[in-house]
Amino acid sequence: MKLLRGVYEGPQSYGIMRVAASIGGVHALLRAQPGEAYFRTLYGARERTGEMAPVTLSPMREGPDGSMAPGNLARDLSGVVRRHPKTEIVVLAHSEASLLSGETIPVTTLPEVEGTGRTPGLITFPWEGPGMREIEAAELALEDLIRARMNDRHERSPYPTVNLFGPPIFGPGAAAEYAEAERLLDMIGVEVNARVPLGANTGDLVRLPRAWANVLLYREVGESATLYLQDEFGMPRVTTPMIGAAGTGAVLRSVGELCQLDPKSVQRTIWAELARTAKLPWYARLEPPETFQDRRVAIFGDFTYPLGLGYALAREVGLDITACGTYLTHLERDFLFHTHTFTERAFVEDDPGEVAARIEAAKPDLVIGTHLEEGVAGSLGVPFLPLCPPVADRPFVERPLIGYAGSSVLADALENALRGKAAETPGEASIQWTDGALQEVSEVPLFLRGRARRLAEERARRLGSAEVTREIFLESRS
Amino acid sequence: MTILNESGIPDVLPPLHAVNDLAQRLPDVLIVVAGTQAEAHLIQCLPSAPSPNLPPFRRNQRVIFAVLDPDDLPQQGLLASRIVERAAEHRGTELVLLVAGRAAESLGVDATFEARLVARKLDLPAEVVNPDATHEIPGVLSTDLEDHVLAALVNLCPKRKTSDLVETASPAKRGGLFGNFLRRGTETSDSNGGRPVVLLGGTLSPGADRGLAAELSRTGVDVVGSVPGSGIGKLPQLGEGTVVAVMDPNLASAATVAESRGATVVKTLMPVGVDGTARFVQDVAEEAGSRTSEVVRARSVWEDLGVLRNRIRGKRIFFTGDTGLEIPLARFLADAGAVVLEVGAPRLDRRFLAAELQALGPDVDVVVSPDYRGQTNRIDESRPDVVISSPGLHLPLVARGHLCRSPRDFISAGHYGYRGARRILELLVRTMERAETLDSLNL
Repeated sequence: MKLLRGVYEGPQSYGIMRVAASIGGVHALLRAQPGEAYFRTLYGARERTGEMAPVTLSPMREGPDGSMAPGNLARDLSGVVRRHPKTEIVVLAHSEASLLSGETIPVTTLPEVEGTGRTPGLITFPWEGPGMREIEAAELALEDLIRARMNDRHERSPYPTVNLFGPPIFGPGAAAEYAEAERLLDMIGVEVNARVPLGANTGDLVRLPRAWANVLLYREVGESATLYLQDEFGMPRVTTPMIGAAGTGAVLRSVGELCQLDPKSVQRTIWAELARTAKLPWYARLEPPETFQDRRVAIFGDFTYPLGLGYALAREVGLDITACGTYLTHLERDFLFHTHTFTERAFVEDDPGEVAARIEAAKPDLVIGTHLEEGVAGSLGVPFLPLCPPVADRPFVERPLIGYAGSSVLADALENALRGKAAETPGEASIQWTDGALQEVSEVPLFLRGRARRLAEERARRLGSAEVTREIFLESRS
Repeated sequence: MTILNESGIPDVLPPLHAVNDLAQRLPDVLIVVAGTQAEAHLIQCLPSAPSPNLPPFRRNQRVIFAVLDPDDLPQQGLLASRIVERAAEHRGTELVLLVAGRAAESLGVDATFEARLVARKLDLPAEVVNPDATHEIPGVLSTDLEDHVLAALVNLCPKRKTSDLVETASPAKRGGLFGNFLRRGTETSDSNGGRPVVLLGGTLSPGADRGLAAELSRTGVDVVGSVPGSGIGKLPQLGEGTVVAVMDPNLASAATVAESRGATVVKTLMPVGVDGTARFVQDVAEEAGSRTSEVVRARSVWEDLGVLRNRIRGKRIFFTGDTGLEIPLARFLADAGAVVLEVGAPRLDRRFLAAELQALGPDVDVVVSPDYRGQTNRIDESRPDVVISSPGLHLPLVARGHLCRSPRDFISAGHYGYRGARRILELLVRTMERAETLDSLNL
């Protein structure tokens, strides 16, 4: 057991509901304690559309069930069908408390929607367990949803099409990511057959095998589903993160190849976009090399974003990636394998305190991370870019991070973060610490340590001392 | 007044969300939440004082999560030793609150034992708060955790010694928050031998207790402090002979704990609105041993509010219910001339709120355990002028064209006392005026 300052992921039921709420025509029934039902409130506040989340609570109640109040699972399931007659699929998710309580209620089939004779499909997830996390559950839930909708009839579309497997609802700028990918594919002459999961409806899920290939924008959630489609229907996958100009170009070329397009025409489109939209290569050329020389960057996040950003920043911009980590412990091997192309210092960690320590040890000049890394960047006094999910802010206008437009967004962010910040002159860092002072600093919480150190060194410099003593340190803290 | 029970699913924010608010309000408390990933995630996702737009969230360093792994074998004392290690990083901690609910229990954590161990090792008080503790009356309010934390704080108050009960308290003994404040010109109250009063509540509106204390001390009552007040070290003496004045309608558990310590809990209206404040001051003063009449004061305050009342008169207001604060608010607004269409009460403690329910106007419907979908339909049908809505319904209702305010807005505006009465009306008038301005725009 560890004591944590925060968590990067929610529980498995949250992941299932994120996927369910992304797809039109799917309604989730959450079996949970009344105190665990926060998805609806969060949905309202995050989406800000005024729509009600397609999620209903089936509260766990103790004692004999004599009343007609909600709490009886079978009745609550029929209630969902009655209240939401347009629902095509009902998904049953269990909260951690429900899984821990060990209650097993045999789930019956759903009733017909009144007056239509149609029965919505019911999907349950036998793999649900109390220790499972959000992203893993989202991945498995998406696969199960697609499996449940598959039938034997499938025909490839007469013209080249692909499916986009992107982030689910609440991902930062999720809709903008799909839109940018669709724009670029459209330019090379490939139509998007379906956006999965965000923006799809249950009909789209049936038609997935029409597409010629699957493009994974967000591997975390689309991995198993696309592997299933590959095994079952022989659909090829494109898995390169579509981040940065190089990554985007690679994806477009792969798609072109899979869709048997003329490579020259694909390349012409790429050049045109590089001239018009993609500003990251342009920014890298405009800035003098000194801006990037010996500048260290620490990146932490999920899977696609740290990988894509790390590669783009290391190769396209020339920054030194001194730490690159993920909180997705179940993707550890994959992550470490891929990060080796641009950094030696990759790590997997889901304790924000340890992550802060790793970032601090990497002595970065720029931190890119989730909203939980803001504190460590602040304490180190270096710029911070919240580019990896989960992030806290939800702007009305979403901006993509993938594709060529995304590379320009990245260039803007980098310029703001790095502008006017020359690398530290070597003389400044050479302040020594006495043992007493080091002992004191070890009692400061990890995430505040950088700031405490900085303040103490500033004080020592002001006092003209060559080392930080215990007294100087304590004075700087008071 | 009619009370109906709808037996539905009310739209209530999970009580655990209040951890953020409480950590901010009680700066010398270290809050450790032992539970599942879901509980930690919930606290992190729902920021303090949830508003429909979820303001940028400032992480509180004094909230720590112990995420329990269902695969680990329970090990007694492990949680305590981790907390002890971590507490060293937080200087100035005066109290450790261990928030552990049903999930922690089912994962084999004996929270009481761990808290006792923490208390012994750190030589600090450590209390367990169970957010899932069942109430006698079924239902969940979003402010339940606040109630339980205040109950724990009441337990921490020093008990009054028997010798104090016998001799009249001398001014020198009276320290605490209001000591200096009250000594100015209240010599009479000191000598009349009245019983000391402790205010309970006002957790999320710091300073509110000071205003009410001033109101009470005007009548010669000796307010010795308040819970939560301004720090764990400054909790007032509370026990036999103390009069406890409850400020919020959602503090049934805290009031019960105070009663079980031998204090007298005054059964009266909450100090919200003009008549509420008047009754509160009058009844508390009477219980504390000094007679006073607030009739003249109340009448003059009502007269001062004349202009605002004219703006409110006839306006139709719907309370969806979430915090428990709605009943006194509805009572005041109905008195001020508004038409209260419905007051939702996810949980209604009729005994604790007896005075409030009696004072509620005859035309007000209270719906216990309301269903949020049913409420949405009723709101659509009745088209109220203002909906005082819970966070989950706020955006959907605004999208349907209703004018909404959160009950939290009244708390942050400062709704207690005579001045609070004016602020409540001003807030509503401001809301309607702004809506009118926006509606008149030609977009």
